[in-house]
Amino acid sequence: MDKTCTIEFSLEKKLPFLSCLMTLYAYPMIVILTIAGILVFPFLFTAYKVVMRWTHDRIMRALIWLYGRCWIAVMSPFVRFRRQGFDKYVVSPPYVIVVNHYSFFDTYCMALLPFHNVAFAVRAWPFKMLWYAPFMRLARYLNVEDLKLTGTLSAGAEVIKSGGSVLFFPEGHRSRDGRLQRFSSVPFELACETGIKVLPLCITGTDVLFPPGRLSMRPAKICLKALPPIDPPDFEEPNGHMKLRKHVKDLMAKTIAAMQAGQ
Amino acid sequence: MTDQEAIELINTSLTEEFELDMTRMVPQAHLRDDLGLDSLDRVDMVIVLQNAFKFKIREEETIRGIQTLGEIHAYVLAKLRAAQ
Repeated sequence: MDKTCTIEFSLEKKLPFLSCLMTLYAYPMIVILTIAGILVFPFLFTAYKVVMRWTHDRIMRALIWLYGRCWIAVMSPFVRFRRQGFDKYVVSPPYVIVVNHYSFFDTYCMALLPFHNVAFAVRAWPFKMLWYAPFMRLARYLNVEDLKLTGTLSAGAEVIKSGGSVLFFPEGHRSRDGRLQRFSSVPFELACETGIKVLPLCITGTDVLFPPGRLSMRPAKICLKALPPIDPPDFEEPNGHMKLRKHVKDLMAKTIAAMQAGQ
Repeated sequence: MTDQEAIELINTSLTEEFELDMTRMVPQAHLRDDLGLDSLDRVDMVIVLQNAFKFKIREEETIRGIQTLGEIHAYVLAKLRAAQ
């Protein structure tokens, strides 16, 4: 048996133990982080307001990004985080950002973004998490199910007009088989209506960390890769948003496959 | 456009958008239980119908209350007749 095989076999043997250790560590740490964040929030909010003079929603998005960064630090003993493509491609927000979706923790991983002014467009259920909901509302996150189409496009356009980006998980659900699911047209309709570029992001590794249907966590290597932003006017009417959607989905599917193959 | 043409356009547009099987597109098909379309998909459904028929749907609450494919057919046909 060669050395590589021996190392891999040894890690595989230790995985249940590491997974148990990580789960017992991570859950309480996330609870402590969340409670600490709620307690510190009024002071940080006031400090940002006085020093930076930002609007409420922008401050809230910065604080959520900071919370995400703290989550990354908490998970770092067991998770390696990497980002690619941002120096090259992510030059001038705002964007309509689209990300594939594997895990509950995908939203936390968005703290890997080099900018914080991002409003998430999500379903109704995250707004039912009482410990997060007030902050999501203050950050003017979009509840796509309640806003419906016209409300989502209108609220999204307002975020963009004020300099913020809007982030969607266009699959709408976490993938249960690792494959990219059908994309909603809503983010692409927003991009076409506002003329703002679409920034495709591909994330891998979160399906290993914490997939749907499992309560335990596993050590993982997470990579967030930015693709070149795409200009909506490049996709002509009629149905420009559908052409844009198909183009972005194809690009992301190829990129995710390459990332998972280790390229 | 005849009623039959409109129904075919609805079914074709929805199967293309939601990657559905055309054989399941019967009027009594329940949007959630038979076609697997949830409340988030209804947001997209508005985009699909607006693009297919070139009208604006302002009554999104009505769309929200629709349960079957046949009710979508009826809604669109009523809108087309009102436009004429």
